Amino acid sequence: MAKVRHTNLTYLLIGILALLTLAPIVMLVIGSFSEGLRNVGKFTFEKYISVYSDPGLVDILGNTVMFVVGAALFSTILALFLAYLNNRTNIPWKFSFKVLSVVPMMIPHVLFSVSWALLLNPSNGILNLWLQQLFNLSNAPLNIYSIPGMILVEGLLDLPIAYLIISPAMASFDVSLEESSKVFGGGNLKTLFKITLPVLRPAILAAFILCVVRCLASFAVPSVLGMPGRVYVLSTYIYRTVNTGFIADYGKAAAIGMSILVVSISLIYVYRYMTRSSEKYVTVSSRGFKPVVIELKKAKIPLFIVVVLISFILIVLPVLVLLYTSLVPYSMVPSAKAFSMMDLNHWKTVLADPISLLSLKNSLFLGVVGATLGTLLSLFIAYVIVKVKTRTAGILEALSFLSFSFPGIVIGIGFMWFFIKTPLYATIWALLIGYVATYLPYGIRPMTSAFVQIHSHLEESSAVCGASLLTTMRRIVIPLLVPGIVSGWVLMATMFLRELSLSVVLSRPGTEVLAVQILRFSEDGLWGRLSALGIIMIFFSTLLVILANILGNRFKPAHD
Amino acid sequence: MKRTQRFGVCVLVLLFVVGTVFGAGSSEKAVVDSGAMEDKVTMYASITAIEPIIEAFSEKTGIVAENTRLSTSRFVSTVLTEFGAGKLMADVLQGPLPVMEILKEQGVISDYVSPAIENYPDWAKRDGIHLFGIEYVALIYNKDLVAPADVPKRYEDLCDPKWNNQIVMANPASHATTISWLVGLKENVFETEQQWYDFLHGLAANNPMFVASFSPTPAPIESGEKLIGISMPKYIVTKAPAPLAWAQVEQPLMGSPRAIAITADAPHPNAAKAFVDYWLSSEAMSLLAEEVGEYVLTSGVYPPIDGIENAEVIPIRELSDDELVKWGAEFEKIFE
Repeated sequence: MAKVRHTNLTYLLIGILALLTLAPIVMLVIGSFSEGLRNVGKFTFEKYISVYSDPGLVDILGNTVMFVVGAALFSTILALFLAYLNNRTNIPWKFSFKVLSVVPMMIPHVLFSVSWALLLNPSNGILNLWLQQLFNLSNAPLNIYSIPGMILVEGLLDLPIAYLIISPAMASFDVSLEESSKVFGGGNLKTLFKITLPVLRPAILAAFILCVVRCLASFAVPSVLGMPGRVYVLSTYIYRTVNTGFIADYGKAAAIGMSILVVSISLIYVYRYMTRSSEKYVTVSSRGFKPVVIELKKAKIPLFIVVVLISFILIVLPVLVLLYTSLVPYSMVPSAKAFSMMDLNHWKTVLADPISLLSLKNSLFLGVVGATLGTLLSLFIAYVIVKVKTRTAGILEALSFLSFSFPGIVIGIGFMWFFIKTPLYATIWALLIGYVATYLPYGIRPMTSAFVQIHSHLEESSAVCGASLLTTMRRIVIPLLVPGIVSGWVLMATMFLRELSLSVVLSRPGTEVLAVQILRFSEDGLWGRLSALGIIMIFFSTLLVILANILGNRFKPAHD
Repeated sequence: MKRTQRFGVCVLVLLFVVGTVFGAGSSEKAVVDSGAMEDKVTMYASITAIEPIIEAFSEKTGIVAENTRLSTSRFVSTVLTEFGAGKLMADVLQGPLPVMEILKEQGVISDYVSPAIENYPDWAKRDGIHLFGIEYVALIYNKDLVAPADVPKRYEDLCDPKWNNQIVMANPASHATTISWLVGLKENVFETEQQWYDFLHGLAANNPMFVASFSPTPAPIESGEKLIGISMPKYIVTKAPAPLAWAQVEQPLMGSPRAIAITADAPHPNAAKAFVDYWLSSEAMSLLAEEVGEYVLTSGVYPPIDGIENAEVIPIRELSDDELVKWGAEFEKIFE
């Protein structure tokens, strides 16, 4: 009976996901094989031949691999370190660090990249000038316009994704596994590498893969930091292919995007293969679990200082740069002159601008409603992916990644080609459906990582007592999943609040959103207004994150 | 399974009902048929910072003007996708001339000729496409950091090694306007092709920093990260009080012509005509010049930029997409 129920649920979810994600992809596939300017034309391979026979592609692929793997590794390792300290130890100021780890998610990527260019450009970057003075150097020691610079900034931008996936898994970790290791003589480090990290493998892999997929699709960092340093990756290659000339050939862009799609889908199957024995990763079973806080003892203060420094240099400093930019009349290096010219003009202009206010209202609606619907859908999908380990569940997982895997420049066009054929075109609902369809992995990943840790005995016990699937979910599973649900909701809400790729294509008068308004300021070169609106966006995102965490803490099951 | 199917059907029906309610097209056709003035007009424009004109029009006529900014690269595909589906929302299109010519060929643009174009030069009148300005490009520098004696007097001065690592420009391999501008130098400024190639190689030797388009060019100049750039003089107005100035070279300034037109099946045709007529008026062109820094074709109207009234500003030839791709590849070889 339960099996039939699961099969029905799987097919229903496949139906919904296929409707949401396949439609734009099918339009893009047709576009990539069609002649002419529109998305449907005479069949041709010409677009594939043209983009894949480019002799420059080999170098671009090399750069892409370095950038993507470097940034994804950096995000995952940093997230692991911060999640461990925040969840498992008695480090002070935990709540602040939790919020800080998510801050880069809230900042528009273009703005974050520009902030880092102001700090570390080789001509007059603030940190470079400071280091030159400090060490009496004739040249700037650091150059943000390079692959390491791009890895640093992209890694930071993707840190929240990795953190919000790894953190719930850390929070549900059963310390008895570590205690057993210690009983058998394992030290702290040995226990970490032999027990803690292997048990967390699904979450770590999920975080790494999601970061890889995001980096592949990333455009802001390669454009703002890669292009000035003549470092091109696949997304800037797509941009160049699309942009050279007045007639953008999105069919060619889709043809390049297909290879990214293949890589992403392959990664999902690698992930499924590597975590196929899910019972190995169970940490919450019917025996009960008790996450215990580890005393840092002597390491407490040094580690606290390290985290404060990381948070300051990597997160607070760029945000301060934004604040500074919003107060000076034009782009200026900090100086007595700059501070004397500070005023609130950019803020006044933005707060009096009706389109900026409408954008804020629309984005908040999309953030709250979209993330709630997206989380609900993700909950069921994650359940099927983890608990119904059939081939069809694998299809469901692959489907959920389809739109997400495509570079932003391209997927928006796919949605436009799809929505134009429905009455939803140019409405706020098109944006909402597009957002949920594209960013489902943000909801699904943290929840699958959390689901993996919950033993099926709990559900089986509930079923034996006569509870329905929904009741079991509501009474047993969901309360244990609260950290994963909060993570998924936060990832989606902050993403929807600053979403640009789809919005720039689908937004029309009346459905403007924050990121489109920010792009508008950026295209006018109005960095001050852009920073002011960016800070407003960060403020509301932070508010949502805090509210979600407070609600999450209220509904979390008591361990004692 | 039946319950599942029922649920699936319900979701689909709900989606379409919601979409129909919220995304329903307007019922403006009756207004159009009666010849009455509609209460709104929708514009798709590639030009930036035009809010002052939109506001002035709405204030003057009571017609609400809405603008969606479409970058040049997305312009043709977006408009053709909507037009092909019979859902083009724009009444008025504003873009570079080559883009408007492509749309005209595809039947998107109406034949409406505004009476306000009468006072413009003859080359600005193109059967429904009205040319009103030039997207002029110049050498923009930081006047706080560049001494007057060092300011270039000719384009060739950019090849001086003193500008090594001090120049910012849009990527000449992909940015259509920069590609057109560089080809425009060959056709309008340099006497021989060799002189032009020497200029290109000299510029490339100074290792300019590339950005995606014109809009990111002024920021590094303002902040002093770079001293000079190939950019647009309009930023001197829109980014005031930034220390930006233009190098008053002896040679002409050049740029792509900017155009405006009404769509063939405009949802609000009467309001669209009123908007285009206003856009081409001296009043609107003065706003465009004074508040947005644009170079307009209305006689005697100039942006408030020192010395710009003495500059010779000429339109460049419209390059086809094949030419843009060809020259983009050539510039990539020279500059990379």
